[in-house]
Amino acid sequence: MSLEPQSLASRTAAAVDAEPWMAIAFLAASVVGVAAFVTVLGLVLIYAERKIAAHFQCRVGPYRVGPHGTLQAVADAIKLLLKEDVVPAGADRLLHILAPVLSFAGMVLCIVALPLGPHAQVVDLDIGVLYVAAVAGLGVIGILLGGWSSHNKWSLLGAMRAGAQIISYELSAMLALLVAVLFSGTLQLSGIVLAQQEGWWIWRAHGAGVVAFALFVVAGTAEINRTPFDLAEGESELTAGFHTEYSGLRFAFFFLAEFLNLFVVAAMVTTLFLGGWMPLHIGQWAAWNAAMDLLPPGLWFAGKAAAVVFLLMWFRWTFPRLRVDQLMRLEWKVLLPIGFANLFFAAGLVVSGWYFFPTDAAPTAPLPAPAGWPSDGAAP
Amino acid sequence: MSDERAPTEPHDSAAATVTASPGPSGRAVVVAPPWRDTVGVASAVRKGLASLVGGMRVTGRYVARPSTVVTQHYPENRGTLRLADRFRGTLRFDHDADGYHGCTVCRICEDQCPNRSIVITQRDKGALTKKELDTFVWRLDACTFCNTCVMVCPFNVLHFGPGFESAVYDRRLLVYTLNGYAGPTAALLKKVADPQARKAACEPRDPFSGPTVLQVLAKERAAAAPASVPVPVPVPAPVPDPVPVPDPVPVPVPVPAPVPDPAPVPDPVPVPVPDSVPLPSPAPEATDVR
Amino acid sequence: MTAPAPTTLRARLDATPWASPLGTQEYFVNMGPQHPSTHGVLRLVLKLDGETVREVVPVLGYIHRGIEKICEHSNYRQLVHLTDRMDYLSALANNWAVTRVVEKAAGLETNGRIEAIRTLVTELQRIHSHQLWWGVFGMDLGAFTPFFYGFRDREILTDVFERTIGGRLTLNYIQPGGVMHDIHPEFVRDVKAFMAVFRPRLDEYEALLSENVIVQERLRGVGVLSAADAVALGATGPVLRASGVAHDLRKAEPYGLYGQVQFDVPIGSRGDCWDRYAVRMCEMRQSLRIVDQLIDHIPEGKHFLVKPAAKIKVQPGVWYSHLETARGVLGAMLVSTGGEAPYRVHLRTPNFNNLWTVTAMAPGGRVGDLVAILSSLDLVVPDIDR
Repeated sequence: MSLEPQSLASRTAAAVDAEPWMAIAFLAASVVGVAAFVTVLGLVLIYAERKIAAHFQCRVGPYRVGPHGTLQAVADAIKLLLKEDVVPAGADRLLHILAPVLSFAGMVLCIVALPLGPHAQVVDLDIGVLYVAAVAGLGVIGILLGGWSSHNKWSLLGAMRAGAQIISYELSAMLALLVAVLFSGTLQLSGIVLAQQEGWWIWRAHGAGVVAFALFVVAGTAEINRTPFDLAEGESELTAGFHTEYSGLRFAFFFLAEFLNLFVVAAMVTTLFLGGWMPLHIGQWAAWNAAMDLLPPGLWFAGKAAAVVFLLMWFRWTFPRLRVDQLMRLEWKVLLPIGFANLFFAAGLVVSGWYFFPTDAAPTAPLPAPAGWPSDGAAP
Repeated sequence: MSDERAPTEPHDSAAATVTASPGPSGRAVVVAPPWRDTVGVASAVRKGLASLVGGMRVTGRYVARPSTVVTQHYPENRGTLRLADRFRGTLRFDHDADGYHGCTVCRICEDQCPNRSIVITQRDKGALTKKELDTFVWRLDACTFCNTCVMVCPFNVLHFGPGFESAVYDRRLLVYTLNGYAGPTAALLKKVADPQARKAACEPRDPFSGPTVLQVLAKERAAAAPASVPVPVPVPAPVPDPVPVPDPVPVPVPVPAPVPDPAPVPDPVPVPVPDSVPLPSPAPEATDVR
Repeated sequence: MTAPAPTTLRARLDATPWASPLGTQEYFVNMGPQHPSTHGVLRLVLKLDGETVREVVPVLGYIHRGIEKICEHSNYRQLVHLTDRMDYLSALANNWAVTRVVEKAAGLETNGRIEAIRTLVTELQRIHSHQLWWGVFGMDLGAFTPFFYGFRDREILTDVFERTIGGRLTLNYIQPGGVMHDIHPEFVRDVKAFMAVFRPRLDEYEALLSENVIVQERLRGVGVLSAADAVALGATGPVLRASGVAHDLRKAEPYGLYGQVQFDVPIGSRGDCWDRYAVRMCEMRQSLRIVDQLIDHIPEGKHFLVKPAAKIKVQPGVWYSHLETARGVLGAMLVSTGGEAPYRVHLRTPNFNNLWTVTAMAPGGRVGDLVAILSSLDLVVPDIDR
């Protein structure tokens, strides 16, 4: 059995001619699966953030709805659904309504391309990295439009900050992504994961991986507007920044997109530098690798993503916010040069093959499945 | 901006004029630590990162130890909640073991109350003396909990108790009659041997038995007389609401401000209801003839 | 020498000479009266060019309650409790300021115990106030967690006040002729317990916020207030001292027991936001030092020297007295024509003057700087409006 990752899209395509009903079933599974995944993950992340933030601050956090407040996020969602949906007087109605949808759509489009497990991926594009970087830009359009259309100067300030910030930090994020792409030799996200079978890029590359990891974590934090880069919301400066004028369902969309973007960044970090769903393999140590394989790949992915999410939450509940000019200085004068230097260093490593356990085999070729792994055909 | 009236202080900093006298400590002035200038990129980066990690260590310590949580689960911990014995929650009017109070109607508390949260009425022809307490009305809605009444009371009748859960939906309910009975003080009552006579001297009062809004409303409802002059009320509690039914929504309640009294020295006689002042009538069917 | 200054707000803002090199437009934003960083109902009209602040005009009056006017209708005992509501984070110092002027005017005596208790509780409240400031300062810079740490540690002191005084925020305690209650039997123990807990926490504060590179970057060189400007604008308290002027009434005109305890007055060296931050952090340590010296040496005696119910009468005349609250100099002027109520009371509150330094500091900075400046001034809006 080969471990070639299979996405729902590829299965759909394969089934179209032979079994049209299966194709429809796969398609339906993708749609329902993504919708359910996004909703549940959003609620879990909101609950986790509130609970973890509370414990950073010597509080208990949500505690009343359900045991230990587990249903608090559900209650909040219902509350937001029932709230009056206000479009301020003087606002650009169409854009005001469109903005949260765009923001949300950008996030969902990212999620469908992420390899959550060997068989848990909706679309496995061969330019996955490029695709994710591109559709992530939809989010910033949503934020810009939201701030612009709200007819509120604070919102506009927040939106302008967000625009400048996200576009700037995308450069560093891309430079960090490219390091992983260079090492893996592919833009396909599942291929990048498979290329890390010998070990994760974060430790295999003589520091280049660590630097790229740190760069991506910082730039990713900035891209999703979280403290210390939450200038677009800037609670204490801009009241609520770009979503000052949003309420009810539309605010919920922004809110959900923000939290799921957290997951998207964590998943990208995991995929690119922490081996995705790949267990912690070290070169050819067969016994060690077999022991690591005992845990299912889904759990590996969830664990790594959760660790990155926790790290980002730790940042948020510890650090103050940067000022707008310092934000730009950090990007253009610090992160960008480091990113370029790191990229060149990584290129040198790849060309010379100096990183640990270089593989001769083309990384995209199907790799033999380690013993004990579930064989192909399991439902995603 | 201060060029015209530039003071004598030198513009620059650390050597500024020291107007503080040295004091016994000798060294009167200490310069607060300025922000650290770091020399060199490497050391700046190292120190910066170290400072970030230092901050994360502080928060990390707390998240790792759930025992540091200080949240109180308030409604559940009611049983174990211990308030300070001096806590100024609600005003209490002390009664002794027999249920007798010591108020001689000296009215010092009423006089010293900064905003007239205390209104006292007296019975001029009491059972035992000329002057006996009738009602001791305390307006929680106006009280600022300054403790002055407790401090000035010569007979230690008043003190603040711990009750703090006094939220109600209608602020008219925040007017309390604090005394348990209208009548003479404990000292006088104890001289009366006959229990029957003692009982006869006291007329029971309960928290809402005073001239409160609810009482007046009840009377009005009982009378159900449309378009009549409101019942004359002896005490300026926030009374004259001509609505026949108590409105559960507190919004339109035309509670008059605490007695308008321009004179700094309060009038010893309770000011009668300012019936010359036209009051807004929220209910259209209530024909206000005033 | 120049045209008369424009009087209306709009005219004043329009008159600011400034030309944009990019041909961009300035715009006005109302910061407040409802805004998370104005900590109350202060309204600042900002003239912005993009993110850059061109001018700040504070607009006051949203929480004016006429305290000075009400004082004219109150007797000398009643007017003390009104001062709780001005700078509600320094209620005790406010009480004391008015009490001192009344005592001076009425010729009331105090004893060592009263003065020691007053000094102690006021100094504890200085810490109490700075704890809240620290938390809020962190929050204004975008870090939420300090807010909770500040409030958590403040709660211990609030409980100390609750035990002795009975109140938690509006503590009407210091009265002409004494203090309302003697200290609670467990006061000394509680205060010592607080100090044992708080000293390490103060180090934690430093690790979490003071040493943080982002905080230092946000504060250094931001909102520089020269000593000359600070004096000209009438700034007092930590705002003045951060500009390098070592003026502290506790040293300059010692009252209470301040003349008998050892403490230092922290001053800043540059007058920027960082100095204001550092001065307050140092002040907390100095206050702990003062409390440490006094807590075991409270003299014996009565806590109230006049008959509580006695009327306080003041001969005709004018009296003034001032002291140092957590935010600066609070002056109380009393005009009496005799009798039980003052003819006029004027309160010179520190926040009112400190507020106007923002007009000198904010222009040229960013919106984020303005928030840092406002927070470093530690304003309490009811004290500005009274």
